[in-house]
Amino acid sequence: MTRKTYAEALIDALVERAGEEKNFAIIGRGILGHGAQAHLVKPLMEKFGDRVTDPPTSEGAVASLGIGAAMAGTRIFAHFGTASFTMEAVNQIIHEAGVAHSMSGGQIKVPIVFHMFHGLRRGGSGQHSLSPQSMFANNPGLHLMMPTTPGDVKGMLRTALKSDTPTLFIDHAALLGTEGEVPDGPYEIPLGEAAIRREGDDVTIVATSRAVHWAEAAADQLAGDGIDAEVVDPRSVVPLDTETILKSIRKTGRLVCVEEGYQMCSIGSEIAALAAEQVFKSLKAPVARVARPPAPVPFSPPLEEAMMPGPGKIVAAVKTVMA
Amino acid sequence: MTAPPAPGDRAALFQCMVLMRRFEEEVLRVARDHPYVGRQHLHIGHEATGAGVVSALSPDDLFHTNHRNHGYLIARGADPGRALAEIMGRKDGLNGGRGGPWHLCDRSAGFQSTSAMVGGSVGLAVGAGFGLKTQGSKAISVTHFGDGTLDEGICYEALNLASLLALPVLFLCENNAKEGQRPSSMLAAKVLHDVPDALQIRSLVVDGRDADAVAAAAADAVAHIRNGSGPVFLQADLERWPGSHQTKPEFPTGVTDLTLAWEEDRIEGPHAEWVRDHDGLRAYAKKLVADGTLSEDQVLEIDRDVLAAIDEARAFAEASPYPDPSGLLDNVFA
Repeated sequence: MTRKTYAEALIDALVERAGEEKNFAIIGRGILGHGAQAHLVKPLMEKFGDRVTDPPTSEGAVASLGIGAAMAGTRIFAHFGTASFTMEAVNQIIHEAGVAHSMSGGQIKVPIVFHMFHGLRRGGSGQHSLSPQSMFANNPGLHLMMPTTPGDVKGMLRTALKSDTPTLFIDHAALLGTEGEVPDGPYEIPLGEAAIRREGDDVTIVATSRAVHWAEAAADQLAGDGIDAEVVDPRSVVPLDTETILKSIRKTGRLVCVEEGYQMCSIGSEIAALAAEQVFKSLKAPVARVARPPAPVPFSPPLEEAMMPGPGKIVAAVKTVMA
Repeated sequence: MTAPPAPGDRAALFQCMVLMRRFEEEVLRVARDHPYVGRQHLHIGHEATGAGVVSALSPDDLFHTNHRNHGYLIARGADPGRALAEIMGRKDGLNGGRGGPWHLCDRSAGFQSTSAMVGGSVGLAVGAGFGLKTQGSKAISVTHFGDGTLDEGICYEALNLASLLALPVLFLCENNAKEGQRPSSMLAAKVLHDVPDALQIRSLVVDGRDADAVAAAAADAVAHIRNGSGPVFLQADLERWPGSHQTKPEFPTGVTDLTLAWEEDRIEGPHAEWVRDHDGLRAYAKKLVADGTLSEDQVLEIDRDVLAAIDEARAFAEASPYPDPSGLLDNVFA
């Protein structure tokens, strides 16, 4: 174990894969964004800079470049920067990568990772703040992973890079500077395996990505009020570890879903529906969802702040279901 | 059924063209006789282009096709019976019934994904070229598309990227733009190859109805690409077959009669001009008989052999059951 940043752990996974897999190429620069951690990409560029292609500003062609190469047998990590930019490549991601294996009767495989940073990022306004996870999860054929901790990002990225299924790897730039214990050497965190971030008996909070940290902060606050919250982090949205989530709801009898995306047809909507379908009789209270209010993301700081499903909103939602 | 024609083997090139034509005619019959066969985009009238280009390729070259793709698959050795079965949505289809007529795929014949999103294959073919280059392969990537595809933005991004990275890609543009009908392309550029020219991609223009000319131009283009000199845009000019855009199965120029190659005064009907002046298959039969490469009897014998194989293909496809819905979720994830 070594204590390091999320950004360093992410680069570790790329360096390890590049070292062991010859047919592996990276498309896109600025893998760690343009913030304080951007320079941490250095170990990758020093050792395997020749594997990195710097493309023009052409998201559709970048996606095509990666998907076509993956179909031809080269494993690909394609970086799109802000998740909003994948909207320029959504046809390629959904209609080419997502359908190819099934539509070819299993002949074609597309081993590609689409990497992006989703969510509110301070000043992103209405075109640089997208959280597209539920939009993508609505389409079969694509795996979707959302890591939360440095230890997870390394193991989950390795899993994604070794997969023959195209994988949306949706990061959050706000996580890059967070620190945590990271196992040394290669390891894989399997798809569809949720993590219980905090155990509790009174209420289940299911949160993804950065919202997991908000949920943990809310749980600390709730503990002071005598409410014992369990925080479940699905880690991969497709496939979803329904077993762990439903087991927690059976135990606590209460569910609050938290995410940075919009509420309409959200991941929380899916989990709430699963609870209604499969553990309805275990529920002691109506389900609550905490998500973005349904408005385009505004620029002004207090307005953007009001979009965030932060700890305060989570605490309020939990108190509603505990009432 | 047959190996792709070897370079210079003109009889084999002709046989390949006959196979492409007779296959598509059978697709029309199948669509006429069976319900639930999807909308057809036939390659009739494009055979000289298709076979000519295929003759210049190596078996390990990769091909991304658009929706007008049947001819290319059959020409490179995909089984006509399994192709027909796929078009009919049957279990033994090339894609197990998951693709249908727009998405025929045969990995063993070098075919990657077939996109019916206009321009989709152009982008993917650039990706295949990137993959082959990173693997150090000598193989090249090929994509074919119609002139209308250049209306799509992804083509400009993809051509730009292929040029910037000097990728081994042959862009085969089947130009069947037609005056007097709704045009299949609406470009501000004066000629199609203005587009690749502006992006520093070598372009060639060839008469797409002339099999020998296409074979020669394709061989030239492939040699350029294979020696690492970057992509080539090959524009094959065609005169659109009158049945190219149809909503129900029809034979507007009749079922192909190869004796018209040497009995031209029998050519008649509302589309006689197309048959006489623009059908590359008839023209090639006429040329090969005239220069002594094949006798009339040999032409007809090739045709009979192909028709017998197509009959077998149809019988195979019709005997194949529909896929069992229990397999609906197979292969969604790899």
